[in-house]
Amino acid sequence: MPDLLTIAAARRAFTTPEGKTFQALDGIDLTVGDGEFVTLLGPSGCGKTTLLRAIAGFEQIDSGSITLDGRDLTRLAPHQRPVNTVFQSYALFPHMTVARNVGYALEVRGMARSDRERWVADALDKVGLGDLGTRKPSQLSGGQRQRVALARAIVAEPRLLLLDEPLSALDRNLRQAMQIELKDLQHRLGIAFVFVTHDQEEALTMSDRIVVMRSGRIEQAGAPRDIFRRPATRFVAEFIGETNLFAGRVQNGTLVTDAGQRIDLPAGTPEGLATAVLRPTDFALGTSGIPGRVTRAVYLGADLHLHVAPDSGGPDIGVVARDAANAPRNGDRVTLAYDPASVHVMAGVA
Amino acid sequence: MKISLTAFAGLFFLFIYAPLIVIVVYSFNSNPVNMLVWDGFTLDWYKGLFGIGERTLDPNQRAVYLESTPQLIAALKNSLTVAAVTTLFSTLVGTATALAVTRYRFRGRTVYTGGMMLPMMMPDIVLGVGLLIFFSTIGMQLSLLTIIIGQCTFLTSYVFIVVQARLAGLDPALEEASADLGANEWTTFRKVTLPQLAFIISMDDLVITYFISGTGSQTLPTFIFSMVRRGVKPEINAIATLIILASIIIAALGLWLNARASRK
Amino acid sequence: MTPRTRGHLALLLSPVTLFLSVFFLGPLIIIAVYSVLTPGLYGGVEWSFYHWNFGRIFGWADGLVEVFEPVYLQILLRSLGLAFLTVIICLILCYPVAFWIARLPQRARIVFLFLITLPFFASLIVRLYAWLLILKPSGLLGTVFNAVGLEAPEILYTQTAVILGMVYIFIPFMFLPLFSSVDTLDRSLIEASADLGAKPWQTFVKVIVPQTLPGIAGGSVIVFIPAVGNFIVPDVLGGAQGLMIGNMVEQQFLSSRNWPFGSALAMVIMAVVLAALMLFTARACKAGAAR
Repeated sequence: MPDLLTIAAARRAFTTPEGKTFQALDGIDLTVGDGEFVTLLGPSGCGKTTLLRAIAGFEQIDSGSITLDGRDLTRLAPHQRPVNTVFQSYALFPHMTVARNVGYALEVRGMARSDRERWVADALDKVGLGDLGTRKPSQLSGGQRQRVALARAIVAEPRLLLLDEPLSALDRNLRQAMQIELKDLQHRLGIAFVFVTHDQEEALTMSDRIVVMRSGRIEQAGAPRDIFRRPATRFVAEFIGETNLFAGRVQNGTLVTDAGQRIDLPAGTPEGLATAVLRPTDFALGTSGIPGRVTRAVYLGADLHLHVAPDSGGPDIGVVARDAANAPRNGDRVTLAYDPASVHVMAGVA
Repeated sequence: MKISLTAFAGLFFLFIYAPLIVIVVYSFNSNPVNMLVWDGFTLDWYKGLFGIGERTLDPNQRAVYLESTPQLIAALKNSLTVAAVTTLFSTLVGTATALAVTRYRFRGRTVYTGGMMLPMMMPDIVLGVGLLIFFSTIGMQLSLLTIIIGQCTFLTSYVFIVVQARLAGLDPALEEASADLGANEWTTFRKVTLPQLAFIISMDDLVITYFISGTGSQTLPTFIFSMVRRGVKPEINAIATLIILASIIIAALGLWLNARASRK
Repeated sequence: MTPRTRGHLALLLSPVTLFLSVFFLGPLIIIAVYSVLTPGLYGGVEWSFYHWNFGRIFGWADGLVEVFEPVYLQILLRSLGLAFLTVIICLILCYPVAFWIARLPQRARIVFLFLITLPFFASLIVRLYAWLLILKPSGLLGTVFNAVGLEAPEILYTQTAVILGMVYIFIPFMFLPLFSSVDTLDRSLIEASADLGAKPWQTFVKVIVPQTLPGIAGGSVIVFIPAVGNFIVPDVLGGAQGLMIGNMVEQQFLSSRNWPFGSALAMVIMAVVLAALMLFTARACKAGAAR
């Protein structure tokens, strides 16, 4: 994938009303490939929205550069940048019809009305809203508004689409449907997406690559599977999905925590301080492994979520097990089996 | 862009305030012929207002004092009387009407909500001459009473509009005056802000009062208007300065009370 | 509705109903009646129908007793023009300032909003008088121009002075509705417009103006109504050149004592204002339906 967008050493500081300086972007280096779906993921205040707004041009970066397709965008005003944005609030123009909203980008660049109508109809078709062109945004449902915002942003065929938590206002079912649809659309259009979200599930579902941010820096960037299976830091491991972390010292292929819990590691793990990452789904109820007692069993439908207090002491371990007639209950003794080869070790992280 | 906007705003405020500052400064200028050529500081014009000036008999007629200080005092008294009665009447009646249309749904409600806008929307000159013909037709002598009646017509409408807008944004439960923050603000609004607004508008009314004030019932604005019509005189600067000062004090006081109420 | 609430309602509504039907509707009706009555000799009135009051203004006078005097039509048009220009200038002055204040931090906003409304509390006639001081030949403007060796422009007793005076006293009327509209403007709409490639002027014309239209229209109407029938400002600053229809009304009532003709002129003012209001409500309804 050839590079489309390159951000180099971007920094941006804000001054809070109390007069303190707050580094929203603290040296960001990032490239986005042509047609790639990149998600910026992180808690609120991590700088993901600032980064998106910097790409769109709503925020100027203090230093660093932003290039798109070899063209330097750093000092260009938003209207001069060939990128489009889907806003969190959708920001549809209330006084215009859906069709005029969608055709706005074409209207302002002076496209003839007849051509415009064709392009608008085309864009509305792509998002599945073919027959709503004459309505006003206030007459639409949340999901429909979302699609209009999308159609409006893609109508001029930008190379890069920026999406600022576009699904956060939708209810859960609609959100899941839209995730799939959006991914599908992105694939068909071949436009690169930079997608901002704080929802890790959304990020895992949709992205080609996830960029986890924290305090204005990139904590880790990689494919969803890598981010999930092989987190580089404690922060990433804890932010993405539920996780069990065992911090301790590695000796002879075994990690020993301060509490005395022993975790077998893949062969050849170097000695020293490290943290082992085991997802709740990595455990099975077996006969050999970590012994403990169930302190809480939460019924989740097909699955059962167990909190297990290990006999060795230390924090509870989260485990997901299939629900069955003989499933353990509160107070039952269990043994948590796992495959040492699949344990991810963050070397040097304590 | 941002700098030019700030510069524009600066000029805007200069435009708003410069004329007022000019009046104040030159009310202390002792040059009576060309008031804007500074000739030294004086309080003579203020003294003249209260009839304690010494330059009344200036042989060169340089200082022209008010023909009659009692006239000014009478006009001020008239204004205060009219404003007090008008404020009382219009706030009571206007608030009652606003309560009725916000609390109850009844037939003819839209007649009230729409009709109450009319006196405010009517050009004051039309209302003024209309009242003049009306009073003369029914044979009512022009007096302070006719001024009060005339001002009450549009002030009741004004109070209604303001209170209705306020009530529309208020929790209905607050009318029961439950002792929480909103109730406190509402009380301040009803007892301070609203009467203050009505009082100031009444004190400042010129057009309607102009048409329906008889010879003996001049108010402060009509009195100053007739002075201004007869030409610029240094004493007007002094009166004007006192009026500006009084208005600023009243407005600031109201704002302070308001801020105090909303902080509680 | 229970008898009790009915009684309550009657108690709340009867004072206003009584008062306004006598002292507001009464004058309106009587002025309408007067406008078609015959002016008597010596300032009186004869209770017989007479349509030439309006004829005198609009040009179908009989030519014997009443003569068509185009001056009234001219002055009416001038009043419309001056009021219109006042509205436009108020708009041009207030719009940028409204934006500027809307972007200030909370505390500064309160201060500047207060500063804009403050002069509104100082008497109208005092504020007009200030301009008389500035504009008169020996006034501030003349003094400043003379000091640098220039001829001062003659503004006093021209239409420019009338516009200046009206703009000055009506600025708060324009500012407050405009500001509330600008302040509630959704900033993300401006960003969306720029994002879609609209140049700043396109964003202004296509998004900002339509979105703040309620404030623009409201402020314009509130300024236009008192401006078009104004007689104080032209009286103080306008001189013969700056006479407006309001001055004509005042003249008919207080010096010429032709009340029926004055009433006809007042009815014309009312018609103009009603037309402006209807235009405004029609637009507001349309905008309301669009929302």
